[in-house]
Amino acid sequence: MRIVIGEDLFLLREGLVKLLSAHGFEIVAAVATAPELLAALVDQRPDVGIVDVRLPPTHTDDGLRAALQARAEVPGLPVLVLSQYVEQLYARELLADQAGGVGYLLKDRVFNDDQFTGAIRTVAAGGTVLDPEVIRKLLDRHSRAEPLTRLTPREREVLALMAEGRSNAAIAQRLFITEKAVSKNAAGIFAKLDLAPSDDDNRRVLAVLAYLES
Amino acid sequence: MIFALWLRARRWGLLLLPVAMAAAMMAGGAHGLIPAELGIAVLAIVFAPKLAARLVPFGVLGLAVFGVHLARTYRDGNTSQVQYLFVHAGPGAWGFWPVLAEAGVLFAAGLWLLSRLDAPLVRALAGQWLDRRRGGISAIHGLLLIPVVVLSMQLLGPHAWFGREVAGLDVLLVDLAVATAALALIFRSRAWAATVAVAGLLVLGAYGWLIAVFWPAVPGFAYGFSDLSNNSVPAPLWSDALQGSVLLALGLWLTPRVMRHHLAGAPDPELAARARQLTQRVQTLTKTRHDAVDTAAAELRRIERDLHDGAQARLVALGMSLQAAERLFPVNPQAALALVTEAKETSSRALADLRELVRGIYPPVLADRGLADAVRALALDTPLHTELDIDLPGPAAGGHAGPAGTIDMPVAAAVYFAIAEALANAVRHSGARTVRIHLHHAAGALRAQVTDDGAGGADPAAGTGLAGVERRLATFDGILAVSSPPGGPTIVAIEVPCASSSAKTSSC
Repeated sequence: MRIVIGEDLFLLREGLVKLLSAHGFEIVAAVATAPELLAALVDQRPDVGIVDVRLPPTHTDDGLRAALQARAEVPGLPVLVLSQYVEQLYARELLADQAGGVGYLLKDRVFNDDQFTGAIRTVAAGGTVLDPEVIRKLLDRHSRAEPLTRLTPREREVLALMAEGRSNAAIAQRLFITEKAVSKNAAGIFAKLDLAPSDDDNRRVLAVLAYLES
Repeated sequence: MIFALWLRARRWGLLLLPVAMAAAMMAGGAHGLIPAELGIAVLAIVFAPKLAARLVPFGVLGLAVFGVHLARTYRDGNTSQVQYLFVHAGPGAWGFWPVLAEAGVLFAAGLWLLSRLDAPLVRALAGQWLDRRRGGISAIHGLLLIPVVVLSMQLLGPHAWFGREVAGLDVLLVDLAVATAALALIFRSRAWAATVAVAGLLVLGAYGWLIAVFWPAVPGFAYGFSDLSNNSVPAPLWSDALQGSVLLALGLWLTPRVMRHHLAGAPDPELAARARQLTQRVQTLTKTRHDAVDTAAAELRRIERDLHDGAQARLVALGMSLQAAERLFPVNPQAALALVTEAKETSSRALADLRELVRGIYPPVLADRGLADAVRALALDTPLHTELDIDLPGPAAGGHAGPAGTIDMPVAAAVYFAIAEALANAVRHSGARTVRIHLHHAAGALRAQVTDDGAGGADPAAGTGLAGVERRLATFDGILAVSSPPGGPTIVAIEVPCASSSAKTSSC
């Protein structure tokens, strides 16, 4: 799998290169600035671009803007955005084109390499991966809303993991329950929230997010 | 070309030629003097052009004085024709006026030339005169009123006023009244005594000069020490001129002190108002600076404590876990692995601590996107229904923008935390379902308003949060107002002026 990395801090950039190479990913470019990143994403058309939000030249959200720009030029180009902090605002902007192939994670999620490489594969396959922190805030925002209060605690857990972009299998593994139980919970959630059920993981994520953001 | 340069260098000096010619004509007409004087003038112009230029004003002034003298001698009975430059005086009562008028014009021209050609000299004299403003008014200055009054009474009283008898006055009574008034003035207010003395000295001094020039041969007329009552032969009255000069000099010497006294004693109401404003401003700035320093110190203390108890402690724990894992690896790899996993979690928690800390110092989204997007992000993180109405200048209002837009970063941070505090209060206390955030930049001010539909009845004095926000805003002359009647709604209004003029503490 071909990967472009945009990260300005040398230690983190090298760390990512080593980690991903060890997992058999092919790093086609590892750059330190937003303009270089944009060029690499558009020219190399990688399977996934891994992008730090804050990059030179302005050290604000240049990386995020480069990622959005690249996706505007190459629709659906998979990008996984990493950051020291997560904002719902940025998540919305990344999800706005509805094209899928988007990930948005805190940098420390890299510590769990299974989860991290899983996220890369999900994004490369056109899926959506959102940081649990984003989902937690999203759910907090709706915690007082009427339909969500009707969910059981287990259903809330499943909803959060679904929103993060996990498959039924991943959710089952995480919660130590069977995939069948996950499916049942998912069906319950969709019924209570009045959403059309969907087997496609990515559609399911988008439906849940659209519901939560409404 | 060379001639033009020569002209330019000596153009003022060239004026010496006509002046010298006029002086020679005045002195004696065509007695061979004219070529001699002209020759000297030409030599001066050629060999000492600067000196020639400096001589010009004095020459003109000399001609003016000569004109006055001419007018006087004519008035004294010289009936022959007098040619004075461009005019000549003929017989008759007012025949000397053209000469005097021309002398006046020459005098003015001489003074103008002097200021033009001898600026350093004039400046030095004027500067010295103005420097006297430093001195104050003493009792001696007030006493100068006495000679003024005495001389005035001598002129006005029993004698004559410019050749006319003054009749029908009870001289003694008037003298007494004037003397009493003068003494009262000297004792009551030496400043006003000095002021009147200055006016009197100037007027009487000028009068002395006038009668020196146009002596009225009136029996019984006297001016100071020169008694003219027995003088039947008209003669130049240099004693009058001398006395006049002394009085004028005294008057001019005293004028700056009196002016200074009145300027200082009766301050301009505008200045006084400005002084009050500035005093108030200094008080406000002293207080807000004190608050700002305190707040910054408290903030640093909090950051230090948070780092010490949070991230630092976790990093120590992390190091210890890794150390233990290192030891355990050979003997119990399973346990070592568990420790490494724990270390990873600890590092995650350290990062979370740091994130929280950074968010409290300067929220990254504010640094990245500016105030408008930072408030949007804040609204998204608020577990209430939020309605936004944001209108800020510059690109900051529309998605992708540089940091902080056109609003100063400290102001943006203060307003951001004020809105955050108001939102937090709405979530914690009000029981509100919807909160509306207005953020506008108009009429030289940044205004924010957070309105919730909660129960109201909030007491802004109760919590420390809003008080801290208020202090922080005060650093930028910003204000915070809370309206929270029982039953709601609660409105928190924030306004920060974007000073564009002198008393600027921030721009936004």
